[in-house]
Parts: sequence; C-alpha cells; structure tokens
Amino acid sequence: MSEAVLDNIRTRRVVREMTDEPVERAQIEAILEAARWAPSGGNLRPNRYIVVEDAETRRLIRLVAPGMFQRAPVLILICTNGDVVAEHHLPPTDRALLIDIGTAAQTMMLAAHALGLASGPVTSYSKEAVKLILNLPDNYSPEMFICIGHKAETAQPGMRAWKKITWRDLTHWERFQSK
Amino acid sequence: MSENWVLKEDEAVELLALLITSARIQMEEPAQYGPLRLLTAAERLSGMMLERASEKSLAFLQENIERIPDMHMTMSDVEAYRAALDERCRAVAACLLRHSSLSEAAP
Ligand SMILES: Cc1cc2nc3c(=O)[nH]c(=O)nc-3n(C[C@H](O)[C@H](O)[C@H](O)COP(=O)(O)O)c2cc1C
Repeated sequence: MSEAVLDNIRTRRVVREMTDEPVERAQIEAILEAARWAPSGGNLRPNRYIVVEDAETRRLIRLVAPGMFQRAPVLILICTNGDVVAEHHLPPTDRALLIDIGTAAQTMMLAAHALGLASGPVTSYSKEAVKLILNLPDNYSPEMFICIGHKAETAQPGMRAWKKITWRDLTHWERFQSK
Repeated sequence: MSENWVLKEDEAVELLALLITSARIQMEEPAQYGPLRLLTAAERLSGMMLERASEKSLAFLQENIERIPDMHMTMSDVEAYRAALDERCRAVAACLLRHSSLSEAAP
C-alpha cells in the first residue's frame, strides 16, 4: 500500500496565487505524461492539450478568464477533439467526454503536487475568446485550464467549504437511506 | 470635483474584456458568482486607477485592492459576505461625497 499516494490526494489544494518562477520543461512533460495514463471512456482518448508558456498569450487569456485568479507561468488547456467524437459517432453531449476531462485534470493536478508544484483548474472563461486567442480549429473545444506554477508565500487558503463535509456525509452503503 | 484622467486605453479595454466575458460565463454559473465577478472588476479597476488618482480616492482604491480578494473567501458565509459588501458600499459612498460638491458645501 502506498501511503504517499493517499497523502498526495489528501494534501493537494487549489492554489490561486503563484510566483513568476518558471516551471522546468521536464516537469511540464511529466505532468502531460501523467494525463496520458488517466482513464478514458472506451479508451478513445478525445483529449488534446495546449501548453501555453508565452507571457503575452497568458496575459490575454487571463483577460478573458474571469475565474483565473492566479498568474501562472504555465497553462495547460484541455480540449476535446471533435474529430474523435465524430469518428466514434458519439453525441457531443456524451457524459464520457466530460468525465475524461475530469480524470485528466485531477491526474495532472496530483502529478503537479507530487512534483512539488502548485496547480488550479479554471473553467470560468469565454470559450469563444480563448479559441480566437489560441487559434484553435473549430473541432477543438477548450474545456478546462490547469494552471501550473509555484505557490506564492502570500497565497490565501481556498474557498471555504459551504459546510463541513466528511466522506460519510457523501456516501450511502448498499441502498440509499435518507440522512 | 476632480476631472483627472485615470485610465489608459489598454487598461479600459482590459476592463471591458473582464465585464463582457463575465456576463457570458455568468449564464452558466451559480448566481452567487455574479457579485464575485463584479468585485473582481472593481478590484482591477482600482488597481488601474491607483497611479493617477487624486488624494480623494487613494485610500478607498487601496482598500479595494487589499480587501476584495479576501471577500472571495467569505462567499460561503452569507452574513459575513453581506457585511463586507455593506462596508464597501459605505466606503464608496464616502468616496463619492469627497468627489462631490456636497462635501465642499459641508459646514
Ligand atoms: C469543474 C471545476 C471547475 C472549476 N473552476 C474553477 C475556476 O474557474 N476558478 C477557480 O479558481 N477554481 C475552480 N475550480 C476549483 C474549485 O473551486 C476547488 O476545487 C474547490 O473550491 C475545492 O478546493 P480544493 O480543490 O483546494 O479542495 C474548479 C473545480 C472544478 C472541479
């Protein structure tokens, strides 16, 4: 049993304040490789990744992403490749596509944490504006940014939980029972 | 009254980007995020104005930059959030008065 993996899962928190310190290329590649090993519905692998390091491109993206509070040195955009969706006759609303984004996102954030890096997901942005800024083809749908960097010392704790929850509050054994 | 110019064109365009994209994403986001986006715009505008603003606004702008990020964390505590927003509303009213002829007429 690997206590280190469980510990990594427990201690990862979204970081919304990062320093300017660059992230090493090998670390970015390790994070992208981790995503490649995330589970994928039907093993179809519809995700494509756009890595943005250029300062001016990152600045423009932040301007159309009201939910991106951090100034991260690296942005990884998870896109769904519509060609894969069409090729396998999936409806574009197939839930596996969203779940694939989730498995990749969490895998990358855990990988970043394991490498001593900070991360934060962002979905609050204009998809149309991002497509234009990143020159995405029509078949690429920009689904989620993962911001990667180094945590600033001044970083605040994240959003408070709406109410205190434990795994027990979220779980029913065998059959549903009202709580 | 003060007729200072406090924004550059680039800065104004950045603020427009934030307002317009916020309007769009708000159509799919939880209602509580609406105030958060407006406050983010207020914080950014305060930062842009800081360099060229007059004494009448400086302290108010500085407070927006310091306090608004903390208010994002307060969102889950509705009463604390309401109180923090009320406090900012009083601060903006006081700033308006400093810029108004009313304060010049005051005894
Ligand atoms: C689908 C999804 C979208 C999210 N979008 C944003 C976002 O746009 N901006 C942001 O700052 N955090 C975003 N988050 C992060 C959550 O707010 C965060 O995971 C949650 O508050 C719990 O914090 P923790 O992950 O540190 O435990 C998103 C998370 C998920 C799963």
